[in-house]
Amino acid sequence: MRDDLSKGLAVVTGAGSGLGRALAMELVARRVQVAGFGRRAEALAQTAALAGQGFHPHMVDVSDADAVAGAFATLQSRLGPVTILINNAAVYPRRDILEETPQSFMASVAVNLGGMVNCTDAALRAMVVTGQGRIMNVSTFADIAPLPASSGYAVSKGAARIYTRALVADLGDRFPWIVINDWMPGMLATQMGIADGLDPAVAARWGVSLALWLDPSLTGTIFEMDRELLPQRSFKGRIKDRLLLRTRLKPRLLA
Amino acid sequence: MIADLVDRHWDVIVIGTGIGGGTIGRALAEKGLSVLFVEKGPAGHRAEETPLNPAMADPVARALRGFWPTPVTAQIDGKMRSFFAPLGSGLGGSSVFYAATLERPEPHDLDHSDARPHPNGGWPVSHAAMRPWYDAAEAMYHVCGEDDPLSGHPGNLRAPPPLSATDTAIMTGLRRGGLHPYRLHAALRHLDGCRECLGFKCPLPCKMDGRSAGVEPALATGRAALLDRCEVTALHGTAGHITQITALRDGEPITLRADRFVLAAGAFGSPRLLLASASTAWPDGCANASGLVGRNLMFHLNEMFAIWPKGVQDSGPSKSVGLRDLYHLDGQRFGMVQAMGISAGYGEITHYLQQWLAQTGLRRLSGLSRIPAAIAARMLGRAQVFVGLLEDMPYPENRITYDPAAPGAIRLEYRLHPELLTRRRQFRKAIRRGFRGQTPLFLTWRPELNFGHPCGTLRFGNDPATSVLDPDCRAHGIDNLHVVDASFFPTSMGVNPSLTIAANALRVAARMTEERCATI
Repeated sequence: MRDDLSKGLAVVTGAGSGLGRALAMELVARRVQVAGFGRRAEALAQTAALAGQGFHPHMVDVSDADAVAGAFATLQSRLGPVTILINNAAVYPRRDILEETPQSFMASVAVNLGGMVNCTDAALRAMVVTGQGRIMNVSTFADIAPLPASSGYAVSKGAARIYTRALVADLGDRFPWIVINDWMPGMLATQMGIADGLDPAVAARWGVSLALWLDPSLTGTIFEMDRELLPQRSFKGRIKDRLLLRTRLKPRLLA
Repeated sequence: MIADLVDRHWDVIVIGTGIGGGTIGRALAEKGLSVLFVEKGPAGHRAEETPLNPAMADPVARALRGFWPTPVTAQIDGKMRSFFAPLGSGLGGSSVFYAATLERPEPHDLDHSDARPHPNGGWPVSHAAMRPWYDAAEAMYHVCGEDDPLSGHPGNLRAPPPLSATDTAIMTGLRRGGLHPYRLHAALRHLDGCRECLGFKCPLPCKMDGRSAGVEPALATGRAALLDRCEVTALHGTAGHITQITALRDGEPITLRADRFVLAAGAFGSPRLLLASASTAWPDGCANASGLVGRNLMFHLNEMFAIWPKGVQDSGPSKSVGLRDLYHLDGQRFGMVQAMGISAGYGEITHYLQQWLAQTGLRRLSGLSRIPAAIAARMLGRAQVFVGLLEDMPYPENRITYDPAAPGAIRLEYRLHPELLTRRRQFRKAIRRGFRGQTPLFLTWRPELNFGHPCGTLRFGNDPATSVLDPDCRAHGIDNLHVVDASFFPTSMGVNPSLTIAANALRVAARMTEERCATI
């Protein structure tokens, strides 16, 4: 009854490198048309060469709301409606808080939070008309215990997690088939990650499986790598669950 | 765009877009009249599938979703209560959330006879006179279902889709128990992708409601327009004639003009607006010479019970079985019984056991009810929940009140009359006896008023001293004001109100257009 998401167009932000490039390649490999957003033409061209046919590079700065709205309008008329949005673009400047200026701090917020807001807003315009779509936000636990020299990243990525929850609060009950959730890819061997991290191609397989999964019960969930993270229950709560014969939830896994 | 709607002098302004307003607006637009729908809530997005959520308390969030934004303040048997009623406030009104059960009343609901005396001598329009309008409304709302085997009056019904395994087993069980179940009458087109949308907004033109069967086809004629987010604050005019209405559109005051005005703001909203319109022309409120505006408020009492029909596999809940064996029994007016679309498992039964424990003052033990509920669920499987609708009677002291300090608030006073409580006990006894083959378990402890079925607050009748509206649902003494929501009901009947609201709206539309032809 619901249209197959993979027949529509997927937008991946930050597609010029790292995880974004791997996600774009994995989507194209699964025969999904991808519009890859990025700021550097050269990097996007490399992704295009690696991904092959089905990848459409789009030079756009996600922190620029007007440019993003324009890009979605162009895509819609040229390639059809965007049914999947993967908000992946992020910057992680390593800077001591004493070296951050209000301007440099807010520049991180403009990409990591603002980019997500700009792209989500543009994608929702079409999704609320059909009542269907998939928004997956690439996320991190950086907000829980901010590392030194990471203030701009930790704050903006933490705010982005709140943005996901705010989207669910406003849209979850009204548009159950616009499925929105967070995905924590794990520590990756990318420029932004760590040298001995996970191969982004491996993470991208999980990420794409999650992004192509249209199930209203996924809205509001958090997946870490290939596994659903269930809300924490206290020790007392777990004892009570046992006594009262409540059925235990099992985390869902990604293939 | 909005300025064009405001500046125009309309043939008809319809206030409210639920079943009554949507139906009459469509009928009038299709007959060539220009129609402006004025709706307090938002038009919303067509693809929304929002379920009605009484737990959502924020008025802004409620308004966005088309829920009535504020709580109802009710004084029930002298006790003040404040709660969110199952009421809509948006395009389609409450009907976008309804279960689309469009059932015809029985002749005794409207007519007086010696065998079945009517509590106030009968409606001014007989069941026989209403029949062509019921036929027309059933066609307009694509109603499907089966005729009640106990009734001699066939409806105008489309064939329903095949019965589910659950419903087949339920039907068989009930028949074996000597009852006469039939397929409920549902305003569902069963289009591709139909999910029956009971309790939530239908994203397709499939569930037929005030929006999909009323306003949308009206707008398609090109002669109708919609002004949403527009709350009418007062009607204005001279003693016998309405000239204009004032409203707040997104909080900005506007004035709207038309030849005629149709009030369809619901049995809570319509009398409140008339009371709010008190002026030198109408010191006690518009159309209130009788003093009856807002009085004779009625609901239904819901008697919910679970049954465990034998042979029912766990194939989902039933919303398609009804029966009228207990409708009028041993000289008593009860009402029909229908499946609620809920199959109760462990969670639901726990909830009701908790309610019962809270009621008996054992709230602290309420967590423990999970254990017997789990055992019950394991032993008995999933239960099917049914509801018996018990007819309520009109009493003038049961009423909507108006407080100028809170002009938008729904306020009511209601007393559970001893007569109703006695009849309730008899109804429960009749259910227990009628369903004895199915071991019914009552899920309602206290009398439970159905706040989604208010009616009677602007009753129609022949005598201006004892009614607010004339038999054509025109306000006594005001030549261009009609009312077509459930306010006009003189009695509450033993069935869901929607079909009667729709049929009456079509009847009133015909009267209004005849009259218009006569004056041209």
